[in-house]
Amino acid sequence: MLAFHRTAIFEAFMSPGAPTPTKVLAARLAFFFGLWLMIAGWTAKDLPVGLVTAGGAVWISLRLLPPGHAQPRLAPLAALVLRFLRGSIFAGFDVARRALSPRLDLNPGFVACPLTLPSGESRNAFCLYQSLQPGTLPTGAEGGTLQVHALDRSQPVAANLAADEALFKKATGYE
Amino acid sequence: MIPLVDLFSLCAIGAGVFFFFAGTVGLLRFPDSLTRLHALAKADNLGLGLVALGLLPRADSALAAFKLIVIWALVLLSGASTAQLIGRALRRGRK
Repeated sequence: MLAFHRTAIFEAFMSPGAPTPTKVLAARLAFFFGLWLMIAGWTAKDLPVGLVTAGGAVWISLRLLPPGHAQPRLAPLAALVLRFLRGSIFAGFDVARRALSPRLDLNPGFVACPLTLPSGESRNAFCLYQSLQPGTLPTGAEGGTLQVHALDRSQPVAANLAADEALFKKATGYE
Repeated sequence: MIPLVDLFSLCAIGAGVFFFFAGTVGLLRFPDSLTRLHALAKADNLGLGLVALGLLPRADSALAAFKLIVIWALVLLSGASTAQLIGRALRRGRK
């Protein structure tokens, strides 16, 4: 198991176009150590604990999220972030309205949505994004079909999801 | 006369509390576990975001402000992932 993960990490480093291992390690270590400092604060005697924790986080992140796949593009990424913020605000209002209306305004059920993203970290990231959008909750995929639970099946759930997926692919560079 | 910053905090935190309230009403009124997950994940995410936004101008330092944003992001990430996992378990259990 461990040996398999080591080869997977090694291959990810060796794939063409991937950033060098030192760069990836330094960037991730800096990120996790910065995060730790932000949460725990800056006291000299705690720093070794923070470094060890950040090192552990880097190791786990390499196992779960091998480097060198995502190639984010700035303009579509900004569009995606804006769409996400607008969608999550709308989602909050939507749920609040349905919950507080005297007659519960619900038509719940599952909608099968075809997915073109391959299974793995890109699909997981997309599902995370999708679960915070109005009226949809991905509940896992079987093959190339994502089973989305919708609060209101009369909404264009599958069409919205396809549009989101297209923008997500453009923004992250996962094809 | 309330300073403008305090007014902003008051409005944002008030709105955040409203969404937590609406999410809780949804949790109590929605008919099954799957619809309740929607209420929790979406309303609480927005509610916490607004509370964090309202607290930002009151933070002692830039570091404390960043911490608020990191907390919101971590809650968002863990809440959305668990909602999906519970949803998947419920769907597979139904078959």
